[in-house]
Amino acid sequence: MDWGAIFSGAGIIALLNAGIRLAMPTALAAVGETFCERSGVLNLSLEGMLLAGAFTSFMGGYYSGNLWVGVLAGIGGGLAIGILMALLSVTFKTAQVINGIVLVLFATGLTAFTYNSVFGVTTTPPRFDSMRPLEIPWLSSIPGVGPVLFEQSILVYLSVVVIVAVSWLLFRTRYGLTVRAAGEKPTAVDAAGVNVDRVRWVATLVAGAMAGFGGAVLIVGQLGFFRDSITAGRGWVAIALVIFGRWTPLRVFGGALLFGMTDALQLRIQAAGGGIQSGVPFEFFQALPYLVTIGVVIVATARSRDDAMPTALGETFEKESKTKAE
Amino acid sequence: MTDRDQAGAHDNRTSAAPTDAGDGAPVVVAMKGIRRSFGDLLALDGVDFDLRRGEIHALLGENGAGKSTLMNVLYGLVSPDHGTIEVDGTPVEIDGPHAAIAHGIGMVHQHFKLVPRLTVAENIVLGDGGERWTRLPDLAEVSRRIEELSDRYGLEVPGDSYVWQLSVGQQQRAEILRALYHDARILILDEPTATLTPNEVEALLERLKGMAAAGSSIIIITHHLDEVMSSADRITVLRSGKYIATLKAAETSQSDLARLMVGRDLQEAALLEVQSGAAAGAGQHAQAGPPVLDVQNLTAYADPVGGPRRASSDDERVALEDITLQVSSGEIVAIAGVQGNGQAELEEVLLGLREVASGRIVLDGKDLAGATTSHVLDSGLGYIPSDRYRYGLISDLAISENLVIDRVDRAPYGSRFSRNFAAIRDNAISLIKSFSIAANSPKTPAATLSGGNAQKVILARSLRSDLSLLVAAQPTRGLDIGAIEFVWERLRRERDDGLGILLISTDLNEIMALAERCYVLYRGRLTESPMDRDSIGLAMGGANLTASGEVPV
Amino acid sequence: MTKIDTTADATEPETTEFVEESTSLVRQFGLTALAIFMALFCGALLLWAAGANPFVAYADMVKGVFTSPAAISLVMGDVVPLLTIGLGLMIAFRAKIWNIGAEGQFLLGALFGGAFAIYSPIEAPIFIIPMTLLVGTAAGAAWGWIVGFLRAHWGVNEVITSLLLVYVAGFIVVYAIRQPMRDPEYFLPQSAALPDTARLGDIPWLDVHAGLLIALALVPLTAYLVNRTSFGIRSLMLGYNPDGTRAAGVNTSKLTVRIMLISGGLAGLAGIMQVMGAETRITNNISPGFGFTAIIVALLGRLRPIGVFLAAVLIGVLNVGGDALQRSQGLPRAVVVVIQALFVIFLLIAERTGSR
Repeated sequence: MDWGAIFSGAGIIALLNAGIRLAMPTALAAVGETFCERSGVLNLSLEGMLLAGAFTSFMGGYYSGNLWVGVLAGIGGGLAIGILMALLSVTFKTAQVINGIVLVLFATGLTAFTYNSVFGVTTTPPRFDSMRPLEIPWLSSIPGVGPVLFEQSILVYLSVVVIVAVSWLLFRTRYGLTVRAAGEKPTAVDAAGVNVDRVRWVATLVAGAMAGFGGAVLIVGQLGFFRDSITAGRGWVAIALVIFGRWTPLRVFGGALLFGMTDALQLRIQAAGGGIQSGVPFEFFQALPYLVTIGVVIVATARSRDDAMPTALGETFEKESKTKAE
Repeated sequence: MTDRDQAGAHDNRTSAAPTDAGDGAPVVVAMKGIRRSFGDLLALDGVDFDLRRGEIHALLGENGAGKSTLMNVLYGLVSPDHGTIEVDGTPVEIDGPHAAIAHGIGMVHQHFKLVPRLTVAENIVLGDGGERWTRLPDLAEVSRRIEELSDRYGLEVPGDSYVWQLSVGQQQRAEILRALYHDARILILDEPTATLTPNEVEALLERLKGMAAAGSSIIIITHHLDEVMSSADRITVLRSGKYIATLKAAETSQSDLARLMVGRDLQEAALLEVQSGAAAGAGQHAQAGPPVLDVQNLTAYADPVGGPRRASSDDERVALEDITLQVSSGEIVAIAGVQGNGQAELEEVLLGLREVASGRIVLDGKDLAGATTSHVLDSGLGYIPSDRYRYGLISDLAISENLVIDRVDRAPYGSRFSRNFAAIRDNAISLIKSFSIAANSPKTPAATLSGGNAQKVILARSLRSDLSLLVAAQPTRGLDIGAIEFVWERLRRERDDGLGILLISTDLNEIMALAERCYVLYRGRLTESPMDRDSIGLAMGGANLTASGEVPV
Repeated sequence: MTKIDTTADATEPETTEFVEESTSLVRQFGLTALAIFMALFCGALLLWAAGANPFVAYADMVKGVFTSPAAISLVMGDVVPLLTIGLGLMIAFRAKIWNIGAEGQFLLGALFGGAFAIYSPIEAPIFIIPMTLLVGTAAGAAWGWIVGFLRAHWGVNEVITSLLLVYVAGFIVVYAIRQPMRDPEYFLPQSAALPDTARLGDIPWLDVHAGLLIALALVPLTAYLVNRTSFGIRSLMLGYNPDGTRAAGVNTSKLTVRIMLISGGLAGLAGIMQVMGAETRITNNISPGFGFTAIIVALLGRLRPIGVFLAAVLIGVLNVGGDALQRSQGLPRAVVVVIQALFVIFLLIAERTGSR
């Protein structure tokens, strides 16, 4: 295998460029999840949200011929799972872990059923041209940095804006403060006269919308086609990245970039024929992003013992006064 | 108001109707005929209450009398089934804390409603437009206003500290400041003295008097007669959800109040004992025997309180520093101190639930530092945890199971591969009887038990026959008088039978009533104190004890 | 299976978060039936939206399952892995250890057990059958152990690790049959066939392999384990209140690891039984997602052995019915996945609203 080609100057630029692109769906989902978990809802349906978003964005883009319709449809798809998650976890207050797992299975089944009902079993899956990179004048001609950062599709730029905005909302607005408090001590939020359930509904919908957008970025911005379980565990990786990033959006984003780089690297190695000639099997490189994620979660939890975790994460909130006399 | 006739308790009134009492200051809050039930339980049965401007009004009653529920109604946390509320003579509907705050009502809850990982300033901003997507106000500016208020009312609180860094007393002041920040003229304090040292209590009551003199109206929920007498202008007594009486403090006495509070003369003596800690049992018992517990130079760390915006680097805080203590068989040794000074960590370390950083724990000659919990229990240590629902019970399991959770694989209750359900049930039936646990059946989940009965389950389980030491942490917190008497009596009896008991308590009355010797835990350090209220009280607040145990006055 | 504890003593701990102690059996059954009805109703809407007549579609499913003996044995063929994995997940879920990576444990059980059978020098059935089962179980247990160890000692979230390890296991299998274990006679990557002596034969008069007997035997066995041993009650305690369980002297780390060993082991056992009984060789698709479907089985069975058994049969029927539907009407079989997930969703809602 030609390691030299991968790690040459041009190789590294291509690698970094691809890494950023591949990181975005996971990054959006992970930052949405961060917002949601900060409110106290452990949303394990993230993979389902991402998958639903990917599917609806494909349908939207394919039938309208307009990629932006696909993006909006993707957000809607993620929101739909978000509504179900919030309904179960916040309104009905059933166990959040179970809700999440079951909704992933639900989304997997529903997208597969609908896709196959519409298109049947074909050897040539329907597809459209995904969004092209937009070279930003001037900036893209900066040596090194330019081709990495400024030759991306507009969806990548938009993703970064959304991620930074969510981080800002969480730490710089009154609502963000309330969200953080709801995940730490919901009784305090309740005593302050704020409806905890409503805050958690909103936070879950934020996760749904962002994961849906992430699914759209994957389809509209990269692949241009759909198949069953196309998100391949990115939602679960995103949940792991929230732990790695200690529930701080920008750190989580950093973790997602790391994941994207690993993914880009393994793709490059495969493309360069790694494993066929070398002693290392290419399945190892395929497994690499997952192994890296597991390793990163182990290190993050073992070192910090979860002390950054929102205190009330995963606990449903019941108003005390409704159940007890004194 | 339709329930007036039903409120038979009105017959008991020893003074005129509330509205006739007092010196003519305007009534700021009038609650009339408040009724509220929770399922089968009638928590409030047509209660009347009124508050005048500039007074401190104590709301007195036993646990479960309905004091907190009444105030939760006023603060909008509980909606009444019947009844009216007037603020400044105008009928109002208070459908949530928001409405209460808007009417100038502030509440300091018994369990503080502060978020530990936020700063004081952030906590105060939280109650103010929390659902708006607008920019946070400048927190430095908020801190400055907090400091202004602190200065004015003598409530020192650093506005930019994280709440988890504050002492309990500071947290309470932060709660009061929050109410003042939101322009509260009417302040409700639910059991404000429960977690304070005697000195802090005095200081708090002084400040409240100052605030009342400046025109605020204050309601204190309490069951401590002495505090009522020393601070309140008027007192309203509730019992079992019924209005009993409203009295002027100047025209009544502790024993009058005690009678009104418990209703029956029979329990009055018990109440006065519980209230005063009169040493009915102390000193009458057999001599202390050989030492059973010997703790030498024990040090342990607290859990890190971190977060994405970790405030400082002191995440490994020392919770217990170089502690040395002994307990002999046949004596009750108390550890006094205000909550949060290392008591929880001490329990956990003794049980093997928390790591020992250094030092020795010797029980009956066996060194247990670093031992597993199961080894500690096997060595003859019994445990009544302060947090009974966390460490004491598996609430969702049946009472019968809870009575054996530490022995599921021991004869006769089972072995590794079998369980003897008959033995488990028989054990439950006999313990339910001998500890008079009020339960429908051994099968009922422990979650359905009242606090007192839950505590009896833990007590019954802990007092095994092969015990050499009992660690009893806050054994009567939150219990009613009958249950307190039961627990105390039981502990005294075990002591007389030769058991060594380590009593960790924040309640001075309890310590005076039970213990022969006393240590005081303050900021993780332990000192021995003579058995008198003043010395213990001072040491709880951190006054330096001299080597001889004398307290500099 | 007669050992299951309807006659059990009064003090038997019967609660899980899923199951309110106070709700009677009749009521529980009613709620489950209601949830199943609602799920089927939503499934009908979905079929209708896809342009099919839901009544005809459901009729096709029923016909496809119950009119042919072959289909019934297909159902039972599905019950074997679903029940075996489901019982293992039940044990983990009772302790609120959310092992959702049974799929990976299943795959590795199949791979290592299969490899042992293929390369074992001794081919006598008396040796090779139990040893193969054992190796498969051990491989699944080992994969589960990683998850249990990480959670017990470093507090690593088991949901994430168990799930991500599914992908890793998948790549290990793909590699194994592409490279070292590949049968060169075939174009598609797959292993050589297991020796005949290592196969689980069919049960007489039933077209189902003997793994069914093992799976059925596991029902009373796990029932005994969860209801009648200290391990069982301690697992339940751990699920309800981990701190209280520690304070009662239970070594919760050890318990967590054990629970994951059993949970993973049963998934591994299911994997190797699938290879020994149904597949005869290791291929790229030995599992159509049994490990994930079994999550539904465990939850729908309300974390009780008998319930898990009934749920496994129900899901097995649905799976085979889904295949029939695909054949008769060309409707994607994924509709049954949707219906299965809806079962649990409606069950959750029914539980919650029913207990108020």
